[in-house]
Amino acid sequence: MNKLFYNRIGFLALLNREIHRFMKVPVQTVLAPLISNILYMMIFGGMLSTREVGINGINYLHFLVPGLATMGAILAAFQNPAFSIISQKFQNTIQDLNSYPISNTEKILAYILGGVFRGVLVGLLTYAATIFFVGYEVAYPLFFVLALMATSFVFASVGLIAGLAFENFEKMNFILSIVITPLTYLGGVFFEVSKLPGLLSAIKYINPIFPLVNVSRFAYVGVCEGNITIHLILTLVLVLVTFLMAAYFFKKGLGIKTV
Amino acid sequence: MLRVKNVSMTYQKGKKEALKDVSLTINEGEFTALLGQNGAGKSTLINILAGNVKKTAGTVEIGGFDLDRNELETKKIIGIVPQDTGYDFVFTIDEALKKQSGYFGIQNNRDTIDELLEALYLTEKRSARLRDLSGGMRRRFLIAKALVHRPKILILDEPTAGVDIEMRHTLYEFLVKLHESGTTIVLTTHYLEEAEKLCNRIVIIDGGKLIADEPKTDLMETFSQEAIIEVHFEQSLTRSDFEFLGAYDPEITEDNRLLLRAPKKELSKVFKMLSEKEMAFTNLVVEKPKLEEIYLRLIKQ
Repeated sequence: MNKLFYNRIGFLALLNREIHRFMKVPVQTVLAPLISNILYMMIFGGMLSTREVGINGINYLHFLVPGLATMGAILAAFQNPAFSIISQKFQNTIQDLNSYPISNTEKILAYILGGVFRGVLVGLLTYAATIFFVGYEVAYPLFFVLALMATSFVFASVGLIAGLAFENFEKMNFILSIVITPLTYLGGVFFEVSKLPGLLSAIKYINPIFPLVNVSRFAYVGVCEGNITIHLILTLVLVLVTFLMAAYFFKKGLGIKTV
Repeated sequence: MLRVKNVSMTYQKGKKEALKDVSLTINEGEFTALLGQNGAGKSTLINILAGNVKKTAGTVEIGGFDLDRNELETKKIIGIVPQDTGYDFVFTIDEALKKQSGYFGIQNNRDTIDELLEALYLTEKRSARLRDLSGGMRRRFLIAKALVHRPKILILDEPTAGVDIEMRHTLYEFLVKLHESGTTIVLTTHYLEEAEKLCNRIVIIDGGKLIADEPKTDLMETFSQEAIIEVHFEQSLTRSDFEFLGAYDPEITEDNRLLLRAPKKELSKVFKMLSEKEMAFTNLVVEKPKLEEIYLRLIKQ
């Protein structure tokens, strides 16, 4: 039987690998998304700050900051485990993972927490970069960090599943650009979802990114679109469901074992 | 040390049988050659031991631990050098070996890493990234990687494939020393002279079945009643020249060389038949069958 926790040092070594791997190429993994977010801030913020978008009574730039931080966290957290696993398949080292005396739970957590670290780092650096535009005030700072952690956890789990399921980078990028990026745009990053025309506004009910963006926004400006309690509950459900799904596929050996 | 009992493995929903009821015991301190043609089932067996492939039947015990019930304990006992020289693009040798030690629960493994790098002539390259190494260096790195946790059993899946002769001999020396220090070694290879030189036990798999499993000396002894005779003639040969030697499996290996296989007790009879033919020969060599010869005979059977 595989124990839940078996090799603490092995778990930390794997987590270290997941962080060290992306820190070796910071320009691609941290700087590039950060520059994108700053450009969004300058262009959208500059263009739309005088119009009636966002939540009434909230300056548009303040509305935008948590959305951008969440979007940065989502993409970075997804890419870290997905890219890591697919790279190992590409390099023919994925079978090494089966030879370590590390429990499945520890392996899953190492991959997910590596993604969480990168997601939170990109999210916080995005916030830090926007201080220049909007100042440093955050309504609930600790809650903001926790919101970024929860968002990153959800998408690191999804990234782990994608890494296990897909054999190459093309398929992973397909999911990223056809599913995750549109959901992010329709999840309230740049505008209030309820102001979208017709059926598009109903997307918020099935878009898992909607509650995540709103939890971050509530932590940052103290208000959000919809009920914060419901968003919090949905966020916790997403954390649990995506983790259990990742654990299920990992334990099944999807993409890493021949059954 | 390693016990495989009635292990079977079927792919494609039972359509393809990669291993058929294989049973095998490898004792502590043995140096075993696992031989077989491509697709015979060697790599499947190794992949089962490594946890990459799930067997469909049978039991595997590694160092006294059952693979199904105590999988994590078995990982600490074996080190595996894969056939493929896959490597992580971003890390240096040093970083990769430190991380590998960590995966096996070893925090400070500097001495072992230094020792392995020295023994495998990689010390000067320790700060080089893996993608910058030559093929031979990567092979040596993979051996170092499999040994950082000092496993009791080392399994090498064709470690010398594509390696130049000089480096191959360096690896032989390293493996002999490792074996002398008490490590149990299982080696798969297509170079049978390598198996003959290094191993003391021969296991042959063919079509997913175990067809031989004996100490090397016993296997060689079984075939020692036979002699391989090579005769070099002055003139070119045709098959019709040697129809009278049909019982001794005559084979023209080069234009003027003839190979015969005969029981030792019939050697004088063979020589008499040859001399009666009155064909001048320049050289005559009588040898015991080599492992390669025995292997081919067993596979044919």
